[in-house]
Amino acid sequence: MSSATDRLSTATGRIDQSLQPLADVYNRLFGDYFGEMNGLQFVLIFGTAAALLTAPFWGNFGLVRAMTVAAIWAIFAMSWDIQSGYTGYISFGHSVLSGAAGYTTAMLIHNVNPELSMMITIPVSIFAALVVGLLVALPSLRLTGPYFSLITFVAVLIFYRLIPSFSQYTGGETGIQSVEVFTYAPVARYYYMVVPMLLIAVVLTLIARSNIGLILMSIRENEAAVNAAGINATKFKIFSFALSSIPMGIGGVLLVHFSGGVDPTTFIVVDRSIEMIAIAVLGGMSSILGPLGGAFFLIVLRDYILTDIANLGSSIRWTVFWALVLLVLVFARDGVFRKLWHGLDRIGGDRR
Amino acid sequence: MSLLEVDGLTKKFGGLVAVDDFSFDVEEGEIVGLIGPNGSGKSTVFNCIMGLYDVTDGSITFNGDDITDDATHEVVNKGLSRVSQESNPIQEMPVAGNIKLFTLPNSIRSFYGGASEEEIYEYAARIDIEDKLHEMPSELPHADVRRLEIAKSLATEPELMLLDEPFAGMNQAEIAELADQIEGFREEGMTMIVVDHNMGGLMELVDRIVVLNNGDFLAEGTPEEIAENERVQEAYLAGEGL
Repeated sequence: MSSATDRLSTATGRIDQSLQPLADVYNRLFGDYFGEMNGLQFVLIFGTAAALLTAPFWGNFGLVRAMTVAAIWAIFAMSWDIQSGYTGYISFGHSVLSGAAGYTTAMLIHNVNPELSMMITIPVSIFAALVVGLLVALPSLRLTGPYFSLITFVAVLIFYRLIPSFSQYTGGETGIQSVEVFTYAPVARYYYMVVPMLLIAVVLTLIARSNIGLILMSIRENEAAVNAAGINATKFKIFSFALSSIPMGIGGVLLVHFSGGVDPTTFIVVDRSIEMIAIAVLGGMSSILGPLGGAFFLIVLRDYILTDIANLGSSIRWTVFWALVLLVLVFARDGVFRKLWHGLDRIGGDRR
Repeated sequence: MSLLEVDGLTKKFGGLVAVDDFSFDVEEGEIVGLIGPNGSGKSTVFNCIMGLYDVTDGSITFNGDDITDDATHEVVNKGLSRVSQESNPIQEMPVAGNIKLFTLPNSIRSFYGGASEEEIYEYAARIDIEDKLHEMPSELPHADVRRLEIAKSLATEPELMLLDEPFAGMNQAEIAELADQIEGFREEGMTMIVVDHNMGGLMELVDRIVVLNNGDFLAEGTPEEIAENERVQEAYLAGEGL
């Protein structure tokens, strides 16, 4: 195993060395904020970013559509990660946050004024996600152990049952389908989703690599030590949830203007929350960019490769989706993209 | 005014009285030994001071400030720090990262605060682990893991440090070295309370010893007086001896 890696790294090491000057420019400018990388890792990150930004020029309609959906789910998975992945307080209810934003937009348009501008509905909806986030976090994050997870789970169930109870406002099971979409043009629509996603990825990575990320990770590893360090762990747990709620709200708004409406199945049901977790776990929890990779991998596979290319039915696609998640949980618990990242570190040239 | 005043401290767990109306003071610059047989309530007293337990009755004052109901992080930020009996470094981070965590400000707006590499080196150097800064905790021998716990505590810049069985699991040479370092902290102006269940390591080190038995105050005096005290010897006879 190690000799195979050695042989491989004599070849890849040379490639890495030739790319190193580029990576060094990056490391000098941004290394302190985002962490340093070698030449191969530099190509992975910036190659991926370039590929994402140019997808409509090399991808076909089906692929670009799948990637549009993936961008929204990448936002959800990264948002989940900065809270659950980093602090270890696993939320099973993140769909209430995106749901709160989506439903706020739709209900404002449906109940208040159909002419309301996005300039109003978007900030109000993101704020609604933050308020719901704090409502869940404030009572629950003072508790330790499994109670937090259980409360987030119950929050989804309550939200789901409230919708038919107020069906004159919420549209009940069929939801509200009168929301304006950003655009029907597939290329423009893709950029509406992928640009906010990249910005969120940058901001969350910056936070995760700062002291804030260090403290959140320390809460997961040893909460008592964080308090003993003179740091209020409860405050940081609640902050992480708020920090997660805002991009969840942005994702919820993007989803409602992508699909042109809300309904409980698309936005709320607990399956949606579990899918966010699955994407983050497959990509690699507590890495921000791992969940981003996980979203594109799983959703392009499910909505494009298995659908357009393999022509499989919905049940089979979902079975493959969950089987892959199960395989990763059993064989690569650190996540596929974390393995890839450390692999590139190993087969890269010697930096010391 | 004493630096730390514990007055009538009582801690009950349900019907069990772990600490019963216990009082003691610590003056600035002192090293006080807190001893007692196993289960006498020493760690409970520390847990109450550090805000880990809710105090049933009594009060704790530090620098004239009532800290009885403060949370742990508030107590730490007022200048108290504890080196706990269990070592629990964060395994994912090297020694330097573990120390750095203890220098970070308690602020959600502080992205890049905390100690510089030089400052972290200085904290580590005070307890002689400055050459282990890049090692992972799991690679360290036991005595160095214990030193890391002390370095973390030093990094919070305490005025008063509580050391919970600092000599446990160390050999004679390591105990002598650590006792010298603790003496050095005192010369730098730090006040300390050292808990141990026997007096071996404490005789040379401490100015004064307070003895706790069954959660109750038993005796107080110089190490020599305590060694001679018959009631203390009796209390220990039930256990393992001084």
